[in-house]
Amino acid sequence: MGLFLGRSIILLLGLFALPTLLGDFWAYQLGLYFLYSIAALGVGICWGQAGFLPLGQAMFLGIGAYLSGFSLIHFQDSFLLLLLLPAAALIPGFIAFVIGLLVFRGHLESGPFFALITLALSLLTFQIATNWVDVTGGFNGLGGIPSLPGLEGFESLYYVVAAVLTISIGVVAWIIKAPIGVIWRGISENEKRLTFFGYDTAFLKALAFGISGVLGGVAGVLYAPHQGLVTPNLAGFILSAELLIWTAVGGRKTLFGPVIGAILVGSLTAELRDVIPIWELMVAALFIFVVLFLPDGIAGWPERLFQRVLGRRFSGDEVNLAVKIGQKSPELELASCSLSIGTVDILNQLSFRIAQPGIYCLIGPNGAGKTSTFNAITGAVKTQAGSINLDDESISGFQSHDVAMRGIGRKFQVPSILPNLTISENLRTALWGGRCSLMDLFHYTPLNWTNTINTDLKERFPFLIEENKPAKELSHGEKQVLELSMSLLGEPRLLLLDEPCAGLSSEETDKVIDTIRWIRSTFDSTILVIEHDMTLVKDIADQVIVMHQGAVLAIGGVKDIQKDSRVREVYVGVSI
Amino acid sequence: MDPIAVTIALNIIYEITTLFVIVLGLAIVFGLLKVMNLAHGEFIMVGAYAAYFCQDQGWPYIMAIPFALFIAAILGYLIEFTLIRHLYRRPFDTLLVTWGLSFLLREVIELVYGKGFQSLSNPIPGSIDVLGEPYPSYRALVMVIAILSVLVLWVWYRRSLTGARVKAMVENPELARAVGIRVDNLARHTFVVGTCFGALAGVMLAPLTRVEPFMGLDYILTSFFVLVVGGVGTILGLSSGAGVIGGVQSVVSNLFGETSGYFGVLLIAILFLWLKPNGLISRS
Repeated sequence: MGLFLGRSIILLLGLFALPTLLGDFWAYQLGLYFLYSIAALGVGICWGQAGFLPLGQAMFLGIGAYLSGFSLIHFQDSFLLLLLLPAAALIPGFIAFVIGLLVFRGHLESGPFFALITLALSLLTFQIATNWVDVTGGFNGLGGIPSLPGLEGFESLYYVVAAVLTISIGVVAWIIKAPIGVIWRGISENEKRLTFFGYDTAFLKALAFGISGVLGGVAGVLYAPHQGLVTPNLAGFILSAELLIWTAVGGRKTLFGPVIGAILVGSLTAELRDVIPIWELMVAALFIFVVLFLPDGIAGWPERLFQRVLGRRFSGDEVNLAVKIGQKSPELELASCSLSIGTVDILNQLSFRIAQPGIYCLIGPNGAGKTSTFNAITGAVKTQAGSINLDDESISGFQSHDVAMRGIGRKFQVPSILPNLTISENLRTALWGGRCSLMDLFHYTPLNWTNTINTDLKERFPFLIEENKPAKELSHGEKQVLELSMSLLGEPRLLLLDEPCAGLSSEETDKVIDTIRWIRSTFDSTILVIEHDMTLVKDIADQVIVMHQGAVLAIGGVKDIQKDSRVREVYVGVSI
Repeated sequence: MDPIAVTIALNIIYEITTLFVIVLGLAIVFGLLKVMNLAHGEFIMVGAYAAYFCQDQGWPYIMAIPFALFIAAILGYLIEFTLIRHLYRRPFDTLLVTWGLSFLLREVIELVYGKGFQSLSNPIPGSIDVLGEPYPSYRALVMVIAILSVLVLWVWYRRSLTGARVKAMVENPELARAVGIRVDNLARHTFVVGTCFGALAGVMLAPLTRVEPFMGLDYILTSFFVLVVGGVGTILGLSSGAGVIGGVQSVVSNLFGETSGYFGVLLIAILFLWLKPNGLISRS
């Protein structure tokens, strides 16, 4: 906290000194780009952190500015402004949050859908602002907006803008270093994985969009008195596009990138647009270049240097969390679950029940529906018939994160990790899933959380201690182990492992099997493993479930299954 | 027949067919290559400006078609070769790069022709009789060409060897490559076909609309909504998407004004995201 305050005060003093250095007029000009950079910070959160593309971000600036303009004109010098202006900043954020929920809930991916819908919304805002002449003043805009009460003259407003910019940077710096920032970056890497840790990613992305809306709103609220005039263009396409370009060029993944981009490219454009005819062409080309080759923009390199020199790793006393595993062993029941895609029956009246803790091996020839069974249990696909119950509650039709929150964890066949996040961030993301409340995500304390599983895993697999190594640099086997560790840290009551030893060396396999056994015995948990290797199955299985053509062929102990003639028939192809 | 009914029917068919032409290039590129080309609207704009150039030179309007196709093909090749081909597995980056491209193309046109709008004269003035009602000849021709080009494309895709190769590429690029299909070339040609259809739409619509640098913006949005509603991959899906979007837009705009029409379309698109995320008719 102290560090934050210290840096913010230095920044603020620097900004306050500018009018003396540059003269009042230039400071006033810069003030406009300070406002834009507040909005650009929001673009940075959406695009650089959470990984979705807001193509119409200016609409929030516009809405904030119109609301602020009305308030200042109609309630000049009234104490109501103390209420109205903050509301004018928050309303765009609320609108953004609702839009985010609507779109992300409908479509989990961060692809073109969200981007184009925000673009359409900003054009819609532009049209409303242009056509609703009685209220907005139409194309010519809403003019004659007085300054903030008590701040006559444009010089004094500069200090307010500079202060608000500093606060905004401070808040964003805090947020992106807090757990929520890690989670957002995780979402941008591998959203699906996070839903299986119990994160409601649609909500968290909507939250990011909402915060960016507030930042846009704040910029708009100050824009109205700063410029004295609000026109539809403020909400429209061009400014939206510029915000995106500034953020990209400055460095979307960095804290200061959007700010530097907005101030540098923005003010240069204003100066050079008319001097160099192909200036905007150059900016467009620069944008493409930066997107492809320089995701950290111009602020990336200096910021990393700065962090190496001045940055301090957040450190505090580790908080050891109580282990919750094994509190109640799950009762899972699948009753006549069916799933077909086209004419192919993937699951065909699949029914089985697991009520006792233990290791259950799910075996069966290729295409028997093993992975699809996992998909059905975890809500990744919806079964067309039948029901899935967990402890007398029907979980069929639940979304993946709701299933995960009820204590079902999953490891995928192909290791599914967060490649560009560090090992420790990967592990933390898993540890926080299902434990962090929304408030926790904005606090720094979860950064120090650990539990006995975490400590033990690090002893078993020493590579997990290399905290700052990006997960993508791990070998295939290590990635498998990392994902296994992640699914254990979520402390699921029921753990689904899809070929956890695939592609591992025999040494690694032994360690992984040992870990699974340890989890089984120490925490008395229920583990369902898909496995092809029969030696392994014999070794670890308490019970074996044999699947064939989307249904259960046999359930029983290893010995019984080995004797079962139907199983032999399926595997060997002859009846004995 | 009731003259008003005929006019209304013709207008609706016109609305849907033009929408169809607008969306076709985008649908090809998105459906087959999974590339959401945000610069699609700008290819339509380039086509329209090419038509303007031809008319300005005093050439016959029909010349605009080969000229626009030529320019769009060259641009398409260049863009695919320098940018898109590196990005087939990175959909998010494609989105950004094509968005940047749309900006670039707009700026180039602005540099040459300025921000103002150009209007073209109608190459085929006058009207013809349709079921006893006079209807503008050029609009009628646009409808015919639109329907014809879609039919030709459809038959060609279903019957030709290249069509089969494209299908193989879409289903499984690695396997297609393994059996000797030159997937890289095929993808490039597919992209170019998409940009050419964009330019063709631009030529066809130029005399009926305001030609200006920002005209592509509306086109990309409407095209996208058609894809959302109709679903990617089938002609029938595209037609139903064009029908719904075109219908909603014209009906709501006529009743409550342009802004409401716009809002209505947006609402429909979001509703479809929720209720039918794969569109009305999807391939799978």
